[in-house]
Amino acid sequence: MTNFLRKYRPFVSAGIEEAIVYRANFILFALGNTLGAFVTYFLWKAVFQSSTNSSLNGFTFPEMVLYIFLSFFTGILTSSDGSSSVGDEVKDGSIAMRILKPISFTANYFYEEIGSKLIDVGVLAVPLFGGILIYQIVGEGTPVLNLVNLLLYFFSATIAYLINFYFNICFSFTVFFFRNLWGSNVLKNALVIFMSGSLVPLAFFPPVLQNVLKLLPFSSLLYTPVMLYLGKYSAQQTVSVLLLQIFWLIFFIFLAKIVWHFAIKHLSIQGG
Amino acid sequence: MRRVLHLEKIFISQYLKQTMEYKADFIVGVLGVLLNQILNLIFLQVIFSQVPKLAGWSLQQIVFIYGFALIPKGLDHLFFDNLWIVGQKLVRKGEFDKYLTRPINPLFHVLVETFQVDAFGELLVGVILLVMSSATVHWTLLKVILFVVSIPFATAIYTALKIGTSAAAFWMKKSNTITYLFYMFNDFAKYPVSIFNHLIRWIISFVIPFAFTAFYPASYFLTGKNVLFNLGGLVVISVVFLFISIKIWDKGISSYESAGS
Repeated sequence: MTNFLRKYRPFVSAGIEEAIVYRANFILFALGNTLGAFVTYFLWKAVFQSSTNSSLNGFTFPEMVLYIFLSFFTGILTSSDGSSSVGDEVKDGSIAMRILKPISFTANYFYEEIGSKLIDVGVLAVPLFGGILIYQIVGEGTPVLNLVNLLLYFFSATIAYLINFYFNICFSFTVFFFRNLWGSNVLKNALVIFMSGSLVPLAFFPPVLQNVLKLLPFSSLLYTPVMLYLGKYSAQQTVSVLLLQIFWLIFFIFLAKIVWHFAIKHLSIQGG
Repeated sequence: MRRVLHLEKIFISQYLKQTMEYKADFIVGVLGVLLNQILNLIFLQVIFSQVPKLAGWSLQQIVFIYGFALIPKGLDHLFFDNLWIVGQKLVRKGEFDKYLTRPINPLFHVLVETFQVDAFGELLVGVILLVMSSATVHWTLLKVILFVVSIPFATAIYTALKIGTSAAAFWMKKSNTITYLFYMFNDFAKYPVSIFNHLIRWIISFVIPFAFTAFYPASYFLTGKNVLFNLGGLVVISVVFLFISIKIWDKGISSYESAGS
C-alpha cells in the first residue's frame, strides 16, 4: 500500500502544481485587467472632485464607483470565449474533429465553457463581488443593498451571458470567410466595450444615441444587469428591459442556427 | 551596425509575408485598433463634457499627454512584440533552443523576429492627437530636439519591462501573465499623476515607471517646468531599467533548460 502511494504521489503533486500554476496565471491576468477599472475609478473621482454638481447624469460618486467595479465584474461573469476557440480550431484544422462528432456543435462549446467558467468566476467572485458588497455596506452615501435588485442582477446577468455566448458563436463564423479571427475580434471587442456601457454608462451619451444603444443587443450584455443592481429602473422599465434581453437571446439562438447552416458549406481547412 | 539593420530588414519582410497570408483579417484588425483609440477619445470627450478642467488640465492638454503616451507604446509594440512569446511558449515548449544555435545574440534575435504591423493603429492615432493638440505647447527649438530624444528613451522603458519580465520564464517556464500584469500599468501613464493616490503615483513613477513614458515628459513640453525631473528622470530611469533587465535576461539564459520530452 505504501509502495503504491509512493509510486503515484508524484502524479498527485504534479496535478496540484499544474492546477496552482494555471490558477496563478489566471489570477495575475485578472489582476492586470482590474488595473483598468482602477484607472477609470481615479478618473471619475477627479471628475467628481472638479465638478460642482454632486450628481452627474443621475449618478452620484458612490453609484459611479459601484458602476465601475460592478460592470467590470459583470464583464467577467458574462464573457464568452467561443469565438477565439472557433478561430484557433479553424486555423489549425482541429474543428474537423468537432464536426465529425454526433453532438451539437454549439452545445459542445457551451458545456466546455461552463465548466471552466464556474471555477474562474468562483475564484474572482470572492475578492471582487465581496469588495463591492463591503463598499456598499460600509461606504458613505452608497445605495442600500437590496435583495430584489441582487436577484434581478443575477437573473439578468445569466441571460446576458447566454446572449453573449450565442452572439460570439454567430460572430465566430466570420472565421470561415476571413480564415483568421484576430482582426475581427479586435474590432468586435472595441465596439462591444463601447456600446455595452462598460467604458462609460450609456446615460452619459446624447439622448438620441442613448435610445438607439439601449435597443441594440449590446446594452443587454452589461448595462441592463448593472443598472438593475443599482435600482435605476422602475417596475415597468425592469419588465421591458428583461423582455428585451429575452428577445435578443432568442434572436441570437436562431441566428446561430442559420449561420451555422450556411457557414459549414464554406469551411476550408488549411494544412492538416 | 549595418549587419544589424540588414538582418532587421530581412526579418521584417519575412514577418510581413506571414501577416499578409490573412490580408482581410489584418485590415479589419488595424481598423479595430484605430476604432479602439477613437472610442477612448470619445470617452475623454464625455468626461470633459462634465467638467471644464480635470485636476487643472484642459482637454487639449490631456489629449497631448494621451497622444504622447501612444508613441513609445506603439514603437515598442511595432518592433519588440516578440518578447511576449518568450514567456508564453518559446521557453515552455523548448523552442527557445533555436535562438541559442544561431550566430547572433539571442536577445537581439528575439527582438527583431516580429514586426507587429497593427501597432500602426496606435502610432497613427498618437501622431494625429499630437498634431491636433500641439498648439497648446509653446514649441522652441530646444523642445523639438528634446521631444525627438525623449521618444527612444520612453520606448526603452516599455521594452525593458518586457525583457525583464519575460526573462522570468527561464526560471518559471511561463511568465507572460507577469509581463501582462506589469504592462497593464501603462494605462495609468495616459493621465496626470495627480489624480491617483500616493501608492499608485509611487508605483508608476519608480517601480513600474510608465509615468515616465508619457505624463512626465509630456508635462514638461506642456508647462516647460522641471526639465531635470521630467526628462532627466526619464533618461536615468530608462537606462537603469534597461541595464537591469538585460542583466536579468543574461542570468536567465544561463539557467535555461530546454524542455525535455
